[in-house]
Amino acid sequence: MKHKLISLLLILAVLAPLTALYGAETIKIGALYTMTGRGGQYGKDSEVAIKIALDEVNAKGLPGGAKLEVIITDDKNPQYAVSVAKRYITDEKCKFLFGIISTGIGLAVTEVSKEYKVILVGTDHAGTDLTANKFQKYYFRTSNNTFQSMMAGAYYLKDEVKNWKKIAYIGPDYAYGRDQLMELKWGLDKLGVKYEVVGEYWPKLYEPDYTSYITAIIKAAPDILVNGMWGGDTVSFIKQAKPYGLFNKMKYFHVDAGGNYEALAALGADMPEGIIMSARHHNNWPETPANKAYIQKFYKAAGRYPSYAAEGAYVGIHVIAEAIRKVGNANDTEALVKAMEGMKIQTPEDPPGFTSYIDPKTHQIVQVQAIGITVKNDKFPPAKYMLGNFKVYPADKLWPSFEYIDYMTKVKGK
Amino acid sequence: MDFNTLIAQFISGLSVAMLLFLVASGLTLIFGVLNVLNFAHGSFYLLGTYFTYQLMQMFDNFWVGLLVGVIGAGIVGMVIEVLFLRRIYGRDQEGAFQLLMTYAFILIIDDVVKFIWGPEYKTIPKPDALMGSLNIGTTVVPTYNVFIIVVGLLVVLFAWYFLTKTDKGKMVRASSLDRNMLGLLGTNVPMIMTLTFGVATAMGGLAGILAAPLRTVTPGAGVEVIIDSMIVVVIGGFGNFWGALLGALIIGEVLSFGILWMPELATVLTFIVMIIVLIVKPEGLLSKKMVGRK
Repeated sequence: MKHKLISLLLILAVLAPLTALYGAETIKIGALYTMTGRGGQYGKDSEVAIKIALDEVNAKGLPGGAKLEVIITDDKNPQYAVSVAKRYITDEKCKFLFGIISTGIGLAVTEVSKEYKVILVGTDHAGTDLTANKFQKYYFRTSNNTFQSMMAGAYYLKDEVKNWKKIAYIGPDYAYGRDQLMELKWGLDKLGVKYEVVGEYWPKLYEPDYTSYITAIIKAAPDILVNGMWGGDTVSFIKQAKPYGLFNKMKYFHVDAGGNYEALAALGADMPEGIIMSARHHNNWPETPANKAYIQKFYKAAGRYPSYAAEGAYVGIHVIAEAIRKVGNANDTEALVKAMEGMKIQTPEDPPGFTSYIDPKTHQIVQVQAIGITVKNDKFPPAKYMLGNFKVYPADKLWPSFEYIDYMTKVKGK
Repeated sequence: MDFNTLIAQFISGLSVAMLLFLVASGLTLIFGVLNVLNFAHGSFYLLGTYFTYQLMQMFDNFWVGLLVGVIGAGIVGMVIEVLFLRRIYGRDQEGAFQLLMTYAFILIIDDVVKFIWGPEYKTIPKPDALMGSLNIGTTVVPTYNVFIIVVGLLVVLFAWYFLTKTDKGKMVRASSLDRNMLGLLGTNVPMIMTLTFGVATAMGGLAGILAAPLRTVTPGAGVEVIIDSMIVVVIGGFGNFWGALLGALIIGEVLSFGILWMPELATVLTFIVMIIVLIVKPEGLLSKKMVGRK
């Protein structure tokens, strides 16, 4: 028995230095993404971008030789996502929660983050609520909210589009679709633009057939059709509307998610020319080395160009790494929150001379918005059209707007 | 409201209705003959689309893709019926087993599609001959929508002929009424069930393929059509083929004119119609009584 004990001690003595050598801390990040169904591409693209960012972060190094590790789970629905988030914190000992495509799920998981005092970095969901009326100090977002898009849109309509008065709106019948119209109207009112809404149409999310909406919109004859759809809904709507000549009969305006690359790619030559769109990240703008390098890395890893969602995830990992570097560890959550507040971070979508930053009061990343029109461009196949003729709106004109946050809080409650 | 607007909206409703009918008819056929509520029916809509996509990558011909897609969806349907569904016929709590199994196939087929073809949206272009639009009076109607309406009507005519004028069709109808008696008369009932499942899933595939040039080809697309198809089937009467046609026309037109006159309520209107039918005639508009396997 005594011999056995001595042998064991000897083994431990030999192994101890090895443990010190290889036992650097692993900091776990618990990510939730939609991995199936229509939103699945955003989850898959975010996964690719996370791997790229992790390689970069771990290559550059973190304090104490720590490594970042990301666990990804399909978030399914708010209830399930909440249970996974809790498991991430209690069982997996994750130091951060991360990701989330849907605002509905984001709103549920931010409550977990608040309750457990664990930082949640939102990388995709755009519902303004999370950095406005539903703000809580452990929540940060590394992609823009719909208010930033729609406020930039209001400027665009005021300055770039002439001779219009009547608008019609079509958008999915849930918070994301409803908020965009509310935000655009608020922005136009704020800028003193006179307009009339001649129709509001609320198909359900993932509606497969818009034929009857299209003929009704043509009958309503607006000067501008504002569309608040995303992803496959955009693709279906445009495919179905084009043979009706809708795009020749009115201006088309779709600035939160219309210009998402996956929609440009799916529509190919079916994309009408000259329609007004934007997205939260563009593969062809800005033409900076940082954006080009990011896109090339993504293409190399995935064999396709990224949808906008990937960039939010890519930036999110870098924000977390930078905060850990500043604080020196991932254990002091309060210090990490402080480190993230006001953090400047160079992102692929930053044009020359601008660096994105996290607004310290709302924890919303503040970025310029570029709105363009569709032009022929086959440099990012299978897309045949990309956005061009960009008009760029300065970040600080768009966020924060405490006046709007007060308005939203009044309308939607805390 | 001018006459042309009414015509335009009516034709839009008809186009919506025909795609709904093509999905719902297969769903109701399976229920009528096999007494199976096939939640996975939308997955055959999806499979047909992806088979066509694959063929179009190889041959760049919509019609070849359509043919292979329809047959492919039918074959996969028959394989699933023989290997899996057949094992649960007649079990206690068969309904629960059906629900679990067909729901499982939604998830499995969706993930298989994603695994093989990837998560990104795919494109199936319209055939060149069906590009552009027709003018009916002053009303513009895309040629492709007219094509869908015509195909829907052809399916109706073919089904009418098959079910009422041919011996095989009469056997299908008989098997929905009394399968045991039909078996005693020497008919190969399992074979009829498998073939019916195959034809119905092929029709689901056909709907998916016809819809693909107008919609988004993506994993998950099948789930999105199944709820509306269920509403159509409930309104028309579970298991009643002609009920599916009537239900699809009602939903298509209610939605279409709802969008024109009261867009805030358009989606709700279809559910209101369903509720009214369930209260007034719970078995559905064209069913005499609830059908079921004997």
